[in-house]
Formats: sequence, structure tokens, C-alpha cells
Amino acid sequence: MNALADILFGGLFQGSLYAMMAVGLALVWTTIGVFNFSHGVLMMLGAYFAWQLVDWGLAPALAFPIAVLLMAGVGWLLQATVVRPLIGRANLVLVVVITTLAAGSLIENGVLELWGPRSKQIPPLVAGNAMLGGVGVSLHQIAIIVVTPIILLALWLFLNRTRLGLALRAVAQNEDAACLVGLNVTMLYGLAFAIAASLAALAGIFLGGYRFMTPVMGADPLLKALIVVVFGGISSISGPIFAAYLIGFFEAICSYYFGLYWTPALLFAALILTLMIKPEGIFASRSRGLA
Amino acid sequence: MSVIETSAPTVSAPPRAPGRTPWMTELAGALVGLLVLALLPLVVGDAYGRHVLIMVFIYAVVASNWDLSLGYGGVFNFGHLALFGIGVYAYSLLTKLAMFDPWVALVASGVIAVVAAVVVTIPILRLKGIYIILVTFGFAQLVMQVILSQSDYTGGTQGIVRIPGLYWFDHNMVRDAKFAYFYIALAMLALSTLFLRVFVRSRTGKSVVALRDNEEYAVSRGVSLVRQRMITLAASAFFTGIAGAFYAAYQRNASVEVFGMSLATIVLSMVLLGGTGTIYGAIIASFVLTVFAESMADFGAWRPMITAVLIIVVMLVYPGGIVGMLKALWGLATRRRA
Amino acid sequence: MTNMLSVTGLTAGYGRVTVLHGIGIEAGKHGNVGLFGPNGHGKTTLLRAVSGLLKPKAGSIVFDGADITGESARSIVARGLVHVPQGNTLFPDLTIADCMSLGAFSPHARPHEAANKERVAALFPKLAERWRQRVRTLSGGERQMVSIGVALMSHPKLLILDEPTLGLAPKIKDELCKAVLDISKAGVPLIVVEQDVEFLLELTNHLYFINHGQVETEIKPGDSLAHSDIMAMYFGQ
Repeated sequence: MNALADILFGGLFQGSLYAMMAVGLALVWTTIGVFNFSHGVLMMLGAYFAWQLVDWGLAPALAFPIAVLLMAGVGWLLQATVVRPLIGRANLVLVVVITTLAAGSLIENGVLELWGPRSKQIPPLVAGNAMLGGVGVSLHQIAIIVVTPIILLALWLFLNRTRLGLALRAVAQNEDAACLVGLNVTMLYGLAFAIAASLAALAGIFLGGYRFMTPVMGADPLLKALIVVVFGGISSISGPIFAAYLIGFFEAICSYYFGLYWTPALLFAALILTLMIKPEGIFASRSRGLA
Repeated sequence: MSVIETSAPTVSAPPRAPGRTPWMTELAGALVGLLVLALLPLVVGDAYGRHVLIMVFIYAVVASNWDLSLGYGGVFNFGHLALFGIGVYAYSLLTKLAMFDPWVALVASGVIAVVAAVVVTIPILRLKGIYIILVTFGFAQLVMQVILSQSDYTGGTQGIVRIPGLYWFDHNMVRDAKFAYFYIALAMLALSTLFLRVFVRSRTGKSVVALRDNEEYAVSRGVSLVRQRMITLAASAFFTGIAGAFYAAYQRNASVEVFGMSLATIVLSMVLLGGTGTIYGAIIASFVLTVFAESMADFGAWRPMITAVLIIVVMLVYPGGIVGMLKALWGLATRRRA
Repeated sequence: MTNMLSVTGLTAGYGRVTVLHGIGIEAGKHGNVGLFGPNGHGKTTLLRAVSGLLKPKAGSIVFDGADITGESARSIVARGLVHVPQGNTLFPDLTIADCMSLGAFSPHARPHEAANKERVAALFPKLAERWRQRVRTLSGGERQMVSIGVALMSHPKLLILDEPTLGLAPKIKDELCKAVLDISKAGVPLIVVEQDVEFLLELTNHLYFINHGQVETEIKPGDSLAHSDIMAMYFGQ
């Protein structure tokens, strides 16, 4: 019973984290059609903004939302400088990988300069611990497990049930046609990146609440997010979300039985195997065609 | 379709495809360049200066080989640096544990890198664009994980030290201010470039480009996607692996840092800055970027920041990279004369 | 009837290539306008310049009394100048219903959304049957209908159709022709670019023959130009 509770909880927690990390990446891909390789860095930056605001005396309940909003602005700025000007280029995806990689490096080193390499921590969403089915968990983890699905649902509703979300989905599929229908493409690109950056910031705040933050903390989450998005199919948002939880549980099971040591290798092997069998990802119905 | 005014062609030589230099001209130009480089140690006498040049040569090999799969093949192998890393560790393990002769180990490392490239081609055989990026990225991380986990052999995060260096008859490799290593590195670069250019100009090379430019058409004309992809990646791996081995022999130690994103970013920038699909562009860019980075060695964290800004600016303004820029300037110069 | 659209001295192109050399056309005074001519000589470029996808290098475009030269596509659509582009890739993963909602995105089109939806369903019963189907699963003819339907949702004051029958079977062409005629009769002026001169003559009676980025011949209604002369113009050049 203990094992089950442990795995269940661990899976839900990791799954929620991965979902939060991956959904911003998936959003940019499904709307604008590019891969943002600074996504991990954005998570880190969100955490650092939150830390600085708390350090200045702001209550976390205020600091966290402000940090998220600030990051929305950063996301907008990012796409305005290193993505939007490149739209129309032949190998857009490739070039954007480079420019976002470079932008990420720029931000990472900037953070290193401003805040130094020593690790920091931000307050958890909810402080304290509890016992759940015989397993000791932190309230922070429970908060993450509860909050994540709510946010993801809100995002899904926005994209699929609102006119603005529809506009976002249209823009990646055919920019010219989008213009001719009267859509403000510039604004939509900015919006997509702003939302993605906000989600990244949230992921960063989640991470910073229970792990030590350093300027290079974004590298691993980026990798995990990439795995989730590839696994889940890069043709939609829902695919990666399901994949995130699946991978979360996979990791929880692996860690329990094989230990943390082998889990990454097993994960990669599973990833490569999946791609060989079903290149569009486990949950994709069709390849996007943007690849 | 176009309404560009074209001047009547003058009588004489058969029309040349724009941008296609005949191979003799290219060979002549390359030999001149090689000669200039070979004479550099006479000008650059200190060990540090030569060290910088040796690093340039190493980066140039890795970058130009990446240009083969990326620029010519159109396959974004994000795991290219992993091939370099495999070369590093292959050489280290072969010489330290298996007691191989360093020169044999050098070549063997190249071969091992080729095998690894073939292995990585298998999952991406029929994948497109972004999937290739992600899988090769994953492959690179996987290799790093494996090396880290086998710390008994590989030293894990500590790496490997006291790796046997290369030798040249009785020459003292240590106290010659890097004279011998300089020429070995230069020879490596020359051979690699020769190999790449011959490959590119060969029928295989041309079919690879055909695949890149119009996959469906090329396949319908009988070009085997799978085979060509594998050949391209394998070809790009050989000298990359050798460069890794040379790096290990030169530095006398190995660490997993070679698998990190920062090195990948730097080398990738060289490929892009130079202009993809040119081979020489990557080599020139290696010079420019390495010298640039060295001149900023005291700037601390500002160095990668300035490099990053440079990359972004170049990608925004000069998508053709340095070579593109040079071609444009050359075009301007020759047009004015005409 | 005054001119809805007036293009004067328009020069435009792509990069260093100039495609249009001071071209000028007028639409509205003599009914629907048709543009024809050899491929690659500027018809699509002209339309892209008019609808704001391409910034002209020189010249002026006046629509419904306002100078729209250099304006963004978005604001031009908001004025009621709607362009149905060539080819019908549209939005492959969206449903027909989605596309129609999208068409009414512009603020001036939104109040008429419900009414326009009914019009489109009535005009194209085939689409009404497939309302929840994704565009990529439709046939070429159906996708073209969606393109035109989307344009109608944008509540056009002037509708521009670029090669609406390209690649379509004759039966579908007839259906489309009928539908477009209905649209025209409902009071929407048209500018149509077409290879199929028959189609063009059915819908329009003010024609421009465009060659080398310029108007080579203008045929106003009442000009005694035989059908065979027009065909000769088109093929003979």
C-alpha cells in the first residue's frame, strides 16, 4: 500500500511539474511553429524574479503573480527581437533554435552577473507537510498537483473555446490567410510567447519552492520539456499534457524499483523507441506538417 | 517570369553556374590558404598564441563537418558534438585502458564515431525536421548519461587525466611551444577539408543536396533517402571523432563538459556565422569567433553574453553568414566592374 | 456608379525584382472587373499589393474614397476590401465552422456574423453538410468554397478572387460560378483573376489584359471586342 501511495503521489507530482514545463513549449510550437530553446532559461528567470520580489519584502501571494506578469512581458520582448523578424525565412525552425539558444545564453549569463552563482530558494506555494496514505508529502507538492490541472484546463478552454484562441491556432497554419481575415498577427505572436513565458515562470516558481535555484537550473527542465513534447505529439497541447503525466508515472515507477540512477537512461531509450515506432508521438493523431 | 534586365552574354567561355567555382580554382585558393596557415608559427612564436590557433583548427574541423550534415545534408544533427565527445573518450579509453598506440587510437576513434553516427541514424531514418533535432538532442544526452554512469571507466564527473599524447618520432612534444601539435592539427584540418570538399563535389554529395532541396523529387528519381542520410551523417562523423581524439591527446585530459550545451552553442554558431552549406564558412567563422572570444577572455560573464548578441545580430541581419556576406561583397565588386 | 477601387501608377515587386511597372486599374464604375493574362506577369502581385500583403514601392491605391496605399492587411480588411488568395491551403487543421468564425473576426464583420453564416450555408450546401469537418479532409473544390465562404464572413464591400477555379473539375467550376454570381447579384462588386476566360466573361464585363506587369489592353463594356479577339489576346501573345 505504501508503494502504491508513493508511486501515485510521485507520479502525480512529477507529472504536474512536467506538464507545466512542457505546455509552454508546446503552445509556441502549435501556434507559431517554432521551438523556443530558451524555455528552460525563462523558467529560471521567473523563479529569480519571484525571489527578488520576495527579497524586497513583497508577500509571496503578491510576488508570484507579479513575477508571472513580468515574464509575460519578457516573452513578448523575446519574440519581438529574435523570432518575429525571422518569420518568412526558409529554415525558420532551425534559425529560431539558434537565436533562442543564444538569447537563453544571454539571459542565463545576465542572471549570473546580477544575482551570482550561489543557490537561492523561494518560499513554497504553501508551507508545511502532511501525511497522505502513509507517505510524507509537502503541502507545496499538493498545491502543485491541485493547481496545475486547473491552469491547464483554463489554457485548453482559452485555445479551443474562445475566438482569440482560435486566432492563435490559425496563425501558425497559414499566416497570409490569417492576415487576409483581419487577424493582428504581430499581436498574436506576442500573445503566444507571453503566455508561454508566463507558464514557464510558473514552472520555475514551482521548482524554486522545493529545490535550490541556480542560474543554470533551466537546462534540465528544458530537456524534460522537450522529451514530453516529443512523446506527447507535437500537433496539439493535450498530447504533451497526457504524456507529461505518463512520463511522471513512468519515472515514479522506475525510481521506486530501479532507483534514480537508471531512470534517465531508461526514459531516453523509451523515447527513442517511441519515435521509431510512432514518429508523431504517442498521443498524436496526425503529424503536424510543420516539421 | 522575372523582369530583370539581362545584358547580352559576351562570347567566350561556357556559362558557369552562378556561385560554382571550378575545382581547380578552389584547390588553388585552398592551397594558398594552407600555405599561409603553415607559415603562421613563424609569426606566432609563443605557446599561447599557437594554442589558440590549435583550438581554432579543432573547432574548424568539428564545425565544418557539422556543416556537411546540417548545411549540405539538411539534417540538423543536434548530437554532432556527442560524436566529438565520443572521439574524446574513445581515444582516452583506448590509450589508457587498452594500451593502444596513440596514432592507432586516433584513427580508431574516428571509426568509432562513424559507428555511433550510423547507430543514431537508425531511429531518425525517416523522420522529418524537428523530430531529428529532438532525437539527436536526446541521443547526445544519452551518451553523456552513459559516460557519467560508467564512472569506473570514465571517471564520471571527474573525467580522465594523464591521457597519453601523440608523438612524432623522437621529437619532444612537450617543450617545443606546441610546434608539433600545431602542424598535426593543421594537417588534420587540411585532410578533413579535403575530404569534405571531395565528398560535396562527388555524385554522392550532389545527391545529398538534391535530397535536401527537394526530397520528394529526389526520392522519385531513385535517390535512397535512408542510405544517403546515413552516408552523410557517417561522413560527418569521421573527422569529428578524430578531432575529439586529438583534443584528448592535446589536452591530456577528458571531461563530460564536451557534451554540454555551451560548447554545442559555440560550434553551432561557427557553422551558422560562417554560412551553412559552404564548409569554408565554418572554418573562417571558427577563426573569427575563437579569436574574438580570446580577446574577451577577461570579460567574465560578459563574454558569452556578447557572443550571444553577436550570434543573434548575425542571424537577423546576415542569414548567409560570413560567406554570404563575402559573396555579396564580391558580387557588388564584380558587378561594378562589368 | 463611382469607382470602388482606383489603382494608379503602382510599382511593386519582391526584393530587387520589380513585377509591376506603374500599373493602373479601376474597379466599380463598369461592374465587375476581370483580370487575365499570362502567368507570372503580375496579376497576383497586384492583388497582394491591393490587399496589403505587399508594400508597393510607388503609386497609390484608393478604396471607397480613402487612400489605403501601404496600409496593413488587417486594416484593409476592416474597411471591407476582402481578398481570397490563390490556392486554398487555408487552415488545414481548423474545421469549417472554425474558419467561418475566424472570417468574422474583424470588428466590422462581427455584428453580421450570424446572418453571413446563413448566407454561406445557403450558397454552399455541401459545406453545410460538413460543418464540423477539418479543412485538410476536404476536396479541392470544397476548400475553394470554404475560402470564398470565409471571405463572405468578412462582410466585404469589394471581393477579390484570385484564380478561384484553378485545378478544379468543370462540374465544380460551374457550381462555383453559380455561387459567385449569386454573391455578385446580392450586391458585392467583384474583381476576379482567372485563367478560364469563359468563367471570367460570365462574371465580369470590364476586363484588363495584364502583360509584363502592365495593363496592355482595357476592355470596357460596350467595346466591340469579339470573344475570339480576347482569346487571341490571351493565347496569341
